Amino acid sequence: MSIAAGAPSRAEVLTLFRSFLRVARKFTDYNIREYTKRRTIDAFRQNRNLTDPSAISAAFSDGKAQFEVANRQAVVYSLYAPKLKSVMEVHK
Amino acid sequence: MALRAALLRHVRIPAQTLNPALTLTGGKWGPPSLRWMSSHDDHLSKSEVTERVLSVVKSFPKVDPSTVTSDVHFQKDLGLDSLDNVEIVMALEEEFKLEIPDKEADKIDSTNLAIEYIYNHPMAG
Repeated sequence: MSIAAGAPSRAEVLTLFRSFLRVARKFTDYNIREYTKRRTIDAFRQNRNLTDPSAISAAFSDGKAQFEVANRQAVVYSLYAPKLKSVMEVHK
Repeated sequence: MALRAALLRHVRIPAQTLNPALTLTGGKWGPPSLRWMSSHDDHLSKSEVTERVLSVVKSFPKVDPSTVTSDVHFQKDLGLDSLDNVEIVMALEEEFKLEIPDKEADKIDSTNLAIEYIYNHPMAG
Protein backbone atom coordinates (compact mmCIF):
# COMPACT_ATOMS: atom_id res chain seq x y z
CA MET A 1 0.00 0.00 0.00
CA SER A 2 1.35 3.37 -0.95
CA ILE A 3 -0.25 5.69 1.54
CA ALA A 4 2.67 8.07 1.08
CA ALA A 5 1.48 8.89 -2.43
CA GLY A 6 -0.92 11.84 -2.45
CA ALA A 7 -4.66 11.38 -2.42
CA PRO A 8 -6.06 10.45 -5.84
CA SER A 9 -7.87 13.12 -7.78
CA ARG A 10 -11.60 13.05 -8.39
CA ALA A 11 -11.02 12.12 -12.03
CA GLU A 12 -8.81 9.18 -11.07
CA VAL A 13 -11.48 7.84 -8.72
CA LEU A 14 -14.17 8.16 -11.38
CA THR A 15 -11.92 6.43 -13.90
CA LEU A 16 -11.42 3.54 -11.47
CA PHE A 17 -15.19 3.40 -10.93
CA ARG A 18 -15.82 3.26 -14.66
CA SER A 19 -13.13 0.61 -15.15
CA PHE A 20 -14.80 -1.51 -12.49
CA LEU A 21 -18.16 -1.25 -14.21
CA ARG A 22 -16.54 -2.16 -17.51
CA VAL A 23 -14.84 -5.25 -16.13
CA ALA A 24 -18.08 -6.26 -14.39
CA ARG A 25 -19.75 -6.47 -17.80
CA LYS A 26 -17.20 -9.03 -18.99
CA PHE A 27 -18.31 -11.78 -16.62
CA THR A 28 -20.14 -14.47 -18.51
CA ASP A 29 -22.14 -15.61 -15.50
CA TYR A 30 -25.17 -13.44 -14.82
CA ASN A 31 -24.92 -13.69 -11.04
CA ILE A 32 -21.25 -12.72 -10.89
CA ARG A 33 -21.78 -9.94 -13.41
CA GLU A 34 -24.57 -8.40 -11.39
CA TYR A 35 -22.76 -8.95 -8.11
CA THR A 36 -19.60 -7.23 -9.31
CA LYS A 37 -21.59 -4.25 -10.53
CA ARG A 38 -23.61 -4.02 -7.32
CA ARG A 39 -20.55 -4.41 -5.11
CA THR A 40 -18.68 -1.72 -7.06
CA ILE A 41 -21.48 0.79 -6.73
CA ASP A 42 -21.97 0.04 -3.04
CA ALA A 43 -18.28 0.34 -2.21
CA PHE A 44 -17.76 3.64 -4.01
CA ARG A 45 -20.88 5.01 -2.41
CA GLN A 46 -19.80 3.86 1.02
CA ASN A 47 -16.50 5.72 0.71
CA ARG A 48 -18.00 8.78 -0.91
CA ASN A 49 -17.69 11.04 2.11
CA LEU A 50 -14.09 10.23 3.03
CA THR A 51 -12.16 13.44 3.68
CA ASP A 52 -8.94 12.29 5.32
CA PRO A 53 -6.33 12.13 2.51
CA SER A 54 -4.64 9.03 3.92
CA ALA A 55 -7.99 7.26 4.22
CA ILE A 56 -8.77 8.20 0.63
CA SER A 57 -5.41 6.90 -0.56
CA ALA A 58 -5.88 3.67 1.37
CA ALA A 59 -9.35 3.14 -0.09
CA PHE A 60 -8.08 3.96 -3.56
CA SER A 61 -5.16 1.53 -3.45
CA ASP A 62 -7.43 -1.11 -1.99
CA GLY A 63 -9.79 -0.47 -4.91
CA LYS A 64 -6.96 -0.82 -7.40
CA ALA A 65 -5.94 -4.13 -5.86
CA GLN A 66 -9.54 -5.34 -6.04
CA PHE A 67 -9.70 -4.19 -9.63
CA GLU A 68 -6.75 -6.42 -10.51
CA VAL A 69 -8.54 -9.32 -8.84
CA ALA A 70 -11.72 -8.62 -10.81
CA ASN A 71 -9.75 -8.47 -14.05
CA ARG A 72 -8.07 -11.81 -13.39
CA GLN A 73 -11.31 -13.44 -12.33
CA ALA A 74 -13.08 -12.22 -15.46
CA VAL A 75 -10.51 -14.17 -17.49
CA VAL A 76 -10.79 -17.26 -15.29
CA TYR A 77 -14.60 -17.23 -15.38
CA SER A 78 -14.58 -16.83 -19.16
CA LEU A 79 -12.85 -20.22 -19.36
CA TYR A 80 -15.68 -21.82 -17.41
CA ALA A 81 -18.64 -20.01 -18.90
CA PRO A 82 -22.03 -21.43 -17.89
CA LYS A 83 -23.58 -23.52 -20.65
CA LEU A 84 -27.04 -22.15 -20.00
CA LYS A 85 -28.15 -18.59 -19.54
CA SER A 86 -29.64 -17.58 -16.25
CA VAL A 87 -33.42 -17.36 -16.30
CA MET A 88 -32.96 -13.68 -15.39
CA GLU A 89 -31.43 -12.85 -18.76
CA VAL A 90 -33.57 -15.01 -21.01
CA HIS A 91 -36.38 -12.54 -21.61
CA LYS A 92 -34.23 -9.51 -22.24
CA MET B 1 -31.81 -43.43 -69.90
CA ALA B 2 -33.46 -42.96 -73.25
CA LEU B 3 -36.80 -42.60 -71.53
CA ARG B 4 -35.38 -40.00 -69.13
CA ALA B 5 -33.88 -37.98 -71.95
CA ALA B 6 -37.18 -38.13 -73.87
CA LEU B 7 -39.09 -37.00 -70.83
CA LEU B 8 -36.72 -34.16 -70.09
CA ARG B 9 -37.02 -32.93 -73.64
CA HIS B 10 -40.76 -32.55 -73.26
CA VAL B 11 -41.22 -31.39 -69.71
CA ARG B 12 -41.09 -27.63 -69.39
CA ILE B 13 -41.23 -25.67 -66.20
CA PRO B 14 -42.31 -22.10 -66.73
CA ALA B 15 -39.74 -19.57 -65.67
CA GLN B 16 -40.94 -17.66 -62.61
CA THR B 17 -40.00 -14.16 -61.65
CA LEU B 18 -39.47 -13.59 -57.97
CA ASN B 19 -42.08 -11.69 -56.10
CA PRO B 20 -40.74 -8.12 -56.18
CA ALA B 21 -41.45 -7.71 -52.47
CA LEU B 22 -39.01 -10.51 -51.70
CA THR B 23 -36.04 -9.36 -53.72
CA LEU B 24 -33.18 -8.04 -51.71
CA THR B 25 -33.09 -4.62 -53.27
CA GLY B 26 -36.09 -2.42 -53.67
CA GLY B 27 -39.55 -3.61 -52.72
CA LYS B 28 -40.68 -3.01 -49.17
CA TRP B 29 -37.17 -2.26 -47.97
CA GLY B 30 -37.23 1.14 -49.52
CA PRO B 31 -35.23 2.64 -52.34
CA PRO B 32 -33.16 0.23 -54.47
CA SER B 33 -29.88 1.80 -53.33
CA LEU B 34 -30.45 0.44 -49.81
CA ARG B 35 -28.79 -2.93 -49.57
CA TRP B 36 -30.38 -5.56 -47.38
CA MET B 37 -28.70 -5.94 -43.98
CA SER B 38 -26.48 -2.98 -44.69
CA SER B 39 -26.14 -0.97 -41.53
CA HIS B 40 -24.60 2.07 -43.13
CA ASP B 41 -27.70 3.81 -44.27
CA ASP B 42 -30.17 3.26 -41.48
CA HIS B 43 -28.96 5.88 -39.06
CA LEU B 44 -31.01 6.37 -35.93
CA SER B 45 -33.36 9.28 -36.16
CA LYS B 46 -33.00 12.09 -33.70
CA SER B 47 -36.42 11.52 -32.20
CA GLU B 48 -35.66 7.84 -31.63
CA VAL B 49 -32.35 8.67 -29.95
CA THR B 50 -34.07 11.27 -27.76
CA GLU B 51 -36.81 8.89 -26.76
CA ARG B 52 -34.44 6.07 -25.85
CA VAL B 53 -32.01 8.32 -23.97
CA LEU B 54 -34.86 9.77 -21.94
CA SER B 55 -36.25 6.36 -21.13
CA VAL B 56 -32.82 5.20 -19.88
CA VAL B 57 -32.49 8.30 -17.68
CA LYS B 58 -36.05 7.95 -16.41
CA SER B 59 -35.52 4.34 -15.43
CA PHE B 60 -32.55 5.28 -13.26
CA PRO B 61 -33.69 4.51 -9.70
CA LYS B 62 -32.87 7.87 -8.14
CA VAL B 63 -34.48 9.96 -10.84
CA ASP B 64 -38.04 11.25 -10.65
CA PRO B 65 -39.27 10.43 -14.19
CA SER B 66 -41.54 13.48 -14.35
CA THR B 67 -38.56 15.87 -14.12
CA VAL B 68 -36.70 14.41 -17.10
CA THR B 69 -36.76 16.42 -20.32
CA SER B 70 -34.42 16.50 -23.29
CA ASP B 71 -32.51 19.35 -21.71
CA VAL B 72 -31.69 18.51 -18.10
CA HIS B 73 -28.29 18.53 -16.45
CA PHE B 74 -27.75 15.28 -14.53
CA GLN B 75 -26.10 16.82 -11.50
CA LYS B 76 -27.59 20.32 -11.41
CA ASP B 77 -31.20 19.49 -12.32
CA LEU B 78 -31.67 15.89 -11.25
CA GLY B 79 -29.71 16.04 -8.01
CA LEU B 80 -27.35 13.23 -8.97
CA ASP B 81 -23.66 12.99 -8.11
CA SER B 82 -20.64 12.18 -10.25
CA LEU B 83 -20.92 8.44 -9.53
CA ASP B 84 -24.51 8.45 -10.79
CA ASN B 85 -23.34 10.34 -13.83
CA VAL B 86 -20.87 7.55 -14.66
CA GLU B 87 -23.59 4.95 -14.10
CA ILE B 88 -25.99 6.70 -16.47
CA VAL B 89 -23.39 6.96 -19.22
CA MET B 90 -22.62 3.26 -18.79
CA ALA B 91 -26.34 2.48 -19.03
CA LEU B 92 -26.52 4.51 -22.24
CA GLU B 93 -23.57 2.55 -23.64
CA GLU B 94 -25.49 -0.65 -23.01
CA GLU B 95 -28.71 0.69 -24.50
CA PHE B 96 -27.05 1.81 -27.74
CA LYS B 97 -24.39 -0.93 -27.82
CA LEU B 98 -21.59 1.59 -27.80
CA GLU B 99 -18.21 1.88 -26.18
CA ILE B 100 -17.72 5.52 -25.25
CA PRO B 101 -14.08 6.40 -24.49
CA ASP B 102 -13.45 7.77 -20.98
CA LYS B 103 -12.56 11.23 -22.27
CA GLU B 104 -15.86 11.57 -24.09
CA ALA B 105 -17.84 9.91 -21.31
CA ASP B 106 -16.57 12.48 -18.80
CA LYS B 107 -18.02 15.28 -20.89
CA ILE B 108 -21.52 13.84 -21.09
CA ASP B 109 -23.28 15.46 -18.14
CA SER B 110 -26.73 16.30 -19.52
CA THR B 111 -29.42 14.61 -21.61
CA ASN B 112 -28.81 17.17 -24.34
CA LEU B 113 -25.11 16.25 -24.70
CA ALA B 114 -25.91 12.55 -24.50
CA ILE B 115 -28.43 12.84 -27.33
CA GLU B 116 -26.01 14.85 -29.48
CA TYR B 117 -23.16 12.43 -28.90
CA ILE B 118 -25.19 9.30 -29.61
CA TYR B 119 -26.96 10.82 -32.60
CA ASN B 120 -23.60 11.69 -34.17
CA HIS B 121 -22.05 8.32 -33.37
CA PRO B 122 -21.85 6.14 -36.49
CA MET B 123 -22.14 2.85 -34.59
CA ALA B 124 -25.11 3.68 -32.39
CA GLY B 125 -27.71 0.98 -32.75
